[in-house]
Amino acid sequence: MRNEKIVITGTGAVCAAGAEPERILDAVLAGRSAIAPIKQWDASEWPIRNAGEVRLTARELVEDRKLHKLIRRTDLFGLYAAGRAIAAAGIIGHRDTLDEEGARRFSDRTGVYVGAGGGTYESHYDYFPLLTEANGELPAFGRELANTVNPMWLLRTLPNNVLGHIGIRYGLKGANACITNHSVSGTLALIEATEGLRQGEGERAVAVGHDAPVEPQLVLFYHRFGLLAADELRPFDARRDGSLFGDGAGALFVEKQAAASGRGASVLGEVLGGGYATEAQGLVAIRDDGDGPARAIAEALADAQIDARDVGMIVAHGNGTRASDASEAAAIRAVFGAQPPPVTAFKWAFGHLIAAAGIMETVLALAALRRNVVPGVATLRELDPACADMPISAAHQTPRSDVALILCRGFAGTNAALLIRAGRA
Amino acid sequence: MNRTRRRVAITGLGLVTPVGNDVATTWDALLTGSSGGAPITVFDASGFPVRIAAEVKGFPADGGLPDRKLVKLTNRSHRFALAAAEQALADAGIAPTPATATRWGCAVGAGMMTYDFADLATTHRHAAQTGELDALRMLSDDAANDPLVFCRSQATAGISLLTQRFGIEGYATSVHTACASGGQAVGTALKLIRRGAVDYALAGGFDSMISPVGVAGFCLLSALSSDNHAPQQASRPFDVTRNGFLLGEGAGFVVLEEWESARRRGAHIYAELAGDGNSLSSYRITDSPPDGDGPIQAMRQALADAGAAPGDVDYLNAHGTSTWMNDRSESAAIRAVFGDDTERVSVSSTKSSMGHLIAAAGAVEVAVCALAIQHDVMPVNANLRELDPEITLNIVRGEPRRARVRVALSNSFGFGGSNSCVVLRHPDAVDGGLAPG
Repeated sequence: MRNEKIVITGTGAVCAAGAEPERILDAVLAGRSAIAPIKQWDASEWPIRNAGEVRLTARELVEDRKLHKLIRRTDLFGLYAAGRAIAAAGIIGHRDTLDEEGARRFSDRTGVYVGAGGGTYESHYDYFPLLTEANGELPAFGRELANTVNPMWLLRTLPNNVLGHIGIRYGLKGANACITNHSVSGTLALIEATEGLRQGEGERAVAVGHDAPVEPQLVLFYHRFGLLAADELRPFDARRDGSLFGDGAGALFVEKQAAASGRGASVLGEVLGGGYATEAQGLVAIRDDGDGPARAIAEALADAQIDARDVGMIVAHGNGTRASDASEAAAIRAVFGAQPPPVTAFKWAFGHLIAAAGIMETVLALAALRRNVVPGVATLRELDPACADMPISAAHQTPRSDVALILCRGFAGTNAALLIRAGRA
Repeated sequence: MNRTRRRVAITGLGLVTPVGNDVATTWDALLTGSSGGAPITVFDASGFPVRIAAEVKGFPADGGLPDRKLVKLTNRSHRFALAAAEQALADAGIAPTPATATRWGCAVGAGMMTYDFADLATTHRHAAQTGELDALRMLSDDAANDPLVFCRSQATAGISLLTQRFGIEGYATSVHTACASGGQAVGTALKLIRRGAVDYALAGGFDSMISPVGVAGFCLLSALSSDNHAPQQASRPFDVTRNGFLLGEGAGFVVLEEWESARRRGAHIYAELAGDGNSLSSYRITDSPPDGDGPIQAMRQALADAGAAPGDVDYLNAHGTSTWMNDRSESAAIRAVFGDDTERVSVSSTKSSMGHLIAAAGAVEVAVCALAIQHDVMPVNANLRELDPEITLNIVRGEPRRARVRVALSNSFGFGGSNSCVVLRHPDAVDGGLAPG
């Protein structure tokens, strides 16, 4: 089943740096960071003041205004990016050419895989007016409930809203998953979509990751754990001091090669394989030796049936925290030895998209490979001596091959590795 | 079908439910159809339109956990999860060791409501007295700065606790498709073992939405039965007088193993986890399609995945929420899939006893199917007095039904339109070949 080639026929993305994969990559290549002062609330007196916020309006992201009342900010990003990937793949136009039975079968065999996060705390603030009115007393809270809170509150809060609404908007009815697994969610959505196609659960699928971590409570909690940077995100830099959040979503449309060529779709690239490992040290703790990412990479290489020297570039998780970057370098060293391929990272340019991070970076890795460039990390001034052997720089580099490895790490010690191959641009 | 595909065995079960804090107690209650419904005690629900639920009862406040620090990292649903997972591993008689840790996976359906009401209320008192969050005041709020609040409110808190406590270092994932979560988690674990990503998996679901915000959310949608006077009869799937579901809570876990290695170690095998089907209804976010479109595809795929025919199925544990729409839609779907065989399939919804465990429901009900196969008996659909005339299923009424269960199906359908169907097969039907009937 490994021999079943899974191709990429569309991508979509939105983050602070842009609303199209190519424009986001342009910004990265120009060395422009979209990290800016937070505007969603007055953070001027806050210890953390910067993030990568998407400034587009709800209407610009999702045209259907009726939908806005039924979904949250994070869902807008997910629906936007998935919609762009579906449009780029051109499947809806193709389905319209099929007869009724063919179209039904097409929809039943098209899957939707989502990695979701975002808005956990903020959505509960809809109960603040009621708590005030009830003076904190539960009987009054219960009595006044229906007069104060939007009846659709629970539906707005569903973590699987993007999954359900993609299905409804595009009439897709196939295999599906909604993965709520912190930062590896989006990458796992793509891995599971790929595995579903390999195992014959469908012919094609959209995989999307979305998140909106820029909310006050989450910023404050991460700050208390020392995970956020004072000003900028500087992966692998000697003076890095943490990560910064960003809003956004990334999406890829994937198909069995036969399904794509059967409808004459143009192919952007290929998903070669994935790997996954957990360190099981608790929610935030990670091992110094890079055990988790190293095992994930080894598994991805085995899954893709390629050798470490076939990898042309590495997109590191590079979240800018001291522990994660150092252990990630250790993992790269353990797998690739003395001469790893060029390494880069993207979070410096638009923030850490948490559930959407890995899939956004996969979209950008594909675009970069197709332009034959490993983008430089503009915020990198002085490479951490402990990472001196990592071929990462502020200047752009050239990939060693058409294969990219994308690394992704999340809370609970989770690590995912993904391998893609770019088609010719 | 791929002939070389690995088979998966269910070798351990663990349950914490509104009708029992272990497998044996829960199973006894399901056979007699006794109800977990009662007035809500975990908060003052006296002003709420719905004041009943199926709470887990007599469960130690500290979850029976060994140290206080661990307790502080958990919310109520995590404590259910840790207890049920511990039971399942003990039952299986196998657990991860340093040598096997990377070959163990973990897939869970985690409840959506991780932020405790008490913490929300604390932040409200300090930083949102006007009804709106004052972000500057939040900086000096106790709950908003408490690392423990952070740890237990993260969506991955559950797998973090489980993988650390039991030493699981392979593929670990949390999924959430509302009421289909538990079924999809078990289905995910099945796929992980089949494709060789892991050899063993701890799979399950856990949830507790019996809180002011959780109950409020369902009240606002008019999804719950408001039979406050009769909590034990409130959940009556397929009855013509049904009027909503009874909110439950709890956790269910199964231990899964690659079949041959389970056999080699002489493990007790409850059943083969034989197939998984997974579809989207893409109809409406809350409504079920009247014709069963969506659930139909999930059941068909699950049967095909298991290499089973509709005629092989003896028991179907229905999603059967006791809402007007779900039960009719599900009945239509079952009819469409089983056709002339529909009469042969015994159907019951154990939500009639336990209530609806939301993200845990699917996993708990997979365990129930395993028990039905193990004991040759199908649990009763409690509280069914007058069958909805639109529902034409062979429902297990009055008392449990004693018969061999060769193949069992467990349905779970979620808000958002995700449908999960999981297929279990009698172990004798795998190794020996079991005659029909």
